[in-house]
Amino acid sequence: MQLRALLLDAYRQLSAAKLFWVTFGISILVVVAYGSVGFNGQGISVLFGLWEIESEELREGSPWARGLYIGIFSSFLINIWLAWIATALALISTCSIFPEFVHSGSIELTIAKPIGRLKLFFAKYLVSLLFVVLQVAVFCIGVFICVGLRIGEWNPMIFSAIPIVATFFSYLFCICVLVGILTRSGITALLITGVFWMMLWSIQTSEAVLHRFVIEQEVDIERANEGIEKSEIELVKIQEVSTEDFRIQKLEKRIETYKEDIIDSQELLDKLTQWHTPTSWVLAISPKNSQTIGLLDRWLSDPDGFDIGAIMNGDMRAFEGEYAYEGGSLEVEEIEEFDRTTRGARDRETMRRMRKEYESHSLWYVVGTSLLFEGFILGIASIYFCRKDF
Amino acid sequence: MAAIQINGVVKIYRGNVHALQGVSLEVMDGEIFGLLGPNGAGKSTLVKILMTVIHATKVSGAMLGKPIGDRLTLQDVGYLPEHHLFPYYLTGKQVLHHYGALAKVTRNDRKTRASKLLNRLGLSGWENKKVGTYSKGMLQRLGIAQSLMNDPKLLILDEPTDGVDPVGRREIRDLLAELREEGRAIFLNSHLLSELEMVCDRVAIMVKGLVRMQGTIDSLTKDSKRYEITISGAIPDWATACCDEIQNNTMIIRGDDPLAIQPTLDRLRADNTTIISVKPVRENLEDLFMRAVDNKDTPGAAQ
Repeated sequence: MQLRALLLDAYRQLSAAKLFWVTFGISILVVVAYGSVGFNGQGISVLFGLWEIESEELREGSPWARGLYIGIFSSFLINIWLAWIATALALISTCSIFPEFVHSGSIELTIAKPIGRLKLFFAKYLVSLLFVVLQVAVFCIGVFICVGLRIGEWNPMIFSAIPIVATFFSYLFCICVLVGILTRSGITALLITGVFWMMLWSIQTSEAVLHRFVIEQEVDIERANEGIEKSEIELVKIQEVSTEDFRIQKLEKRIETYKEDIIDSQELLDKLTQWHTPTSWVLAISPKNSQTIGLLDRWLSDPDGFDIGAIMNGDMRAFEGEYAYEGGSLEVEEIEEFDRTTRGARDRETMRRMRKEYESHSLWYVVGTSLLFEGFILGIASIYFCRKDF
Repeated sequence: MAAIQINGVVKIYRGNVHALQGVSLEVMDGEIFGLLGPNGAGKSTLVKILMTVIHATKVSGAMLGKPIGDRLTLQDVGYLPEHHLFPYYLTGKQVLHHYGALAKVTRNDRKTRASKLLNRLGLSGWENKKVGTYSKGMLQRLGIAQSLMNDPKLLILDEPTDGVDPVGRREIRDLLAELREEGRAIFLNSHLLSELEMVCDRVAIMVKGLVRMQGTIDSLTKDSKRYEITISGAIPDWATACCDEIQNNTMIIRGDDPLAIQPTLDRLRADNTTIISVKPVRENLEDLFMRAVDNKDTPGAAQ
């Protein structure tokens, strides 16, 4: 009964805020824009057919079309709209919930009821997430219908965005709550949450950049070792024929260069590791916003690699089966072999390894450790709330 | 039976501010008890301790037979805090339903009581209007209605008539009298001494975190009862022997026995003295309050 009363109150509070309806309206517009993209026999149709783009790969029924359509949802609508813009609007809308709740004259009315302070605190916290849950739920219903109608896939996994985005939002909202009850100021809570959000973003970006550099150096060392191995085999072959072959000096020079490269890369790797290791520790204990949102991409992307990542990287390859088109491009192996010696291959290998490592992170690591952090913050906030004389 | 019975309640805030220095008092069932005191005396702190809004440094006693701080007891207690603030986005009816639900009142009871209380407190017609549109007096009435939603055995009201017009005050006084008739205990915290005097059975006066006086207004003012006899002309010489005090042309005789002043009146008549007035006088609550506060006590808690 008490929880229902708090839930109803939270809904009334949110629906009384204009920003709630503004966000709701924009969400619907985003869904409509998403639904306006479709596929036909010739390619992609945008804005309900107002604009047609011919494409061999991205056409009705192709796995690339599925990859693009799902990818727009998981990589853009979730990553940009829900994870940034809608979250910022949600924080603006909800930042004053706790300061208003603990406001003198208001808190006495609630606290003097037969409800424990701890229960009251967590009930209020959970119902405050209603803003995000409602917004994302409506958004997901729209996307679910769009995906079903556009690519014929009625995918219930789309609804996993609701808990994911709510969890993502809660990492930030816990800070807003702590500051809100400490200062009783919505603006201060919002500002400090914004700073915290930027701090998290900086930690995650720094870790990703350092991680990328580390992997690049590892790839370079591996490639140099491979080069030494190949050159030595070649050298032995040449020396068996003649010890005065002009290529011997060249190969020895190349081996020397590879060795120097390894030493340089190893030095750089050591330095980078010195920075990367503590950064990754900090990341391990802090909320992992991007990785939490990225879970949706992991869960929704095509296991066969027909995903938006490949489309963005220009790695679209021919596909086999019912929808395969004639005169496909180069085979996968050919591309890999062709690119192995280029810088592009090094970058691609780095990205592949990063993605692999990133996807190897368990749900516990991504969400569990983030929730531990959130629990710690809420623990402090709840202790303060329970002990506070209002 | 005592609805509230507390002994030696102490509250020390950070900075060694002694808000309450051992307050003891008793509120009986079916009585209206008034708590008075200057600003910073600790009245609201005491009320908030009873309602678990503030944690006491030391407390012993019971409320409705359960130890102070027992959360379930609050189910039977109605509370109106001073300067209460209702969510602006709720209507009057929604306010009553919301706080009623938090007090574990069933949906059916909430429905019945809400309309009954809105009507009783003169808010019918306003039940579906947002509280943001209410006047201060209306908010006060709504606050009282809110405190009655759980049909409480004990009602604790902090400045209930604050901002209410004279007609409204009278209605509230009548309501409190009705509630007392129903056997409920009412604990009033107010600055309006005349209001309290009209409605309270017993009062306590708090100064600097201590109860200075406690009892019925009658018993507290008993010692101040006197007769004032005002005459025209000079006070005769013999009067100094039979009067307790003389002020200008007024003779003061302490006590509340009318027979005690008859000989003085007889003698005045025998002297052909013109008697202008004979007044039985006793301290009012304001006098009592001023005496308790002693004028030397500045507002604020003890350091």
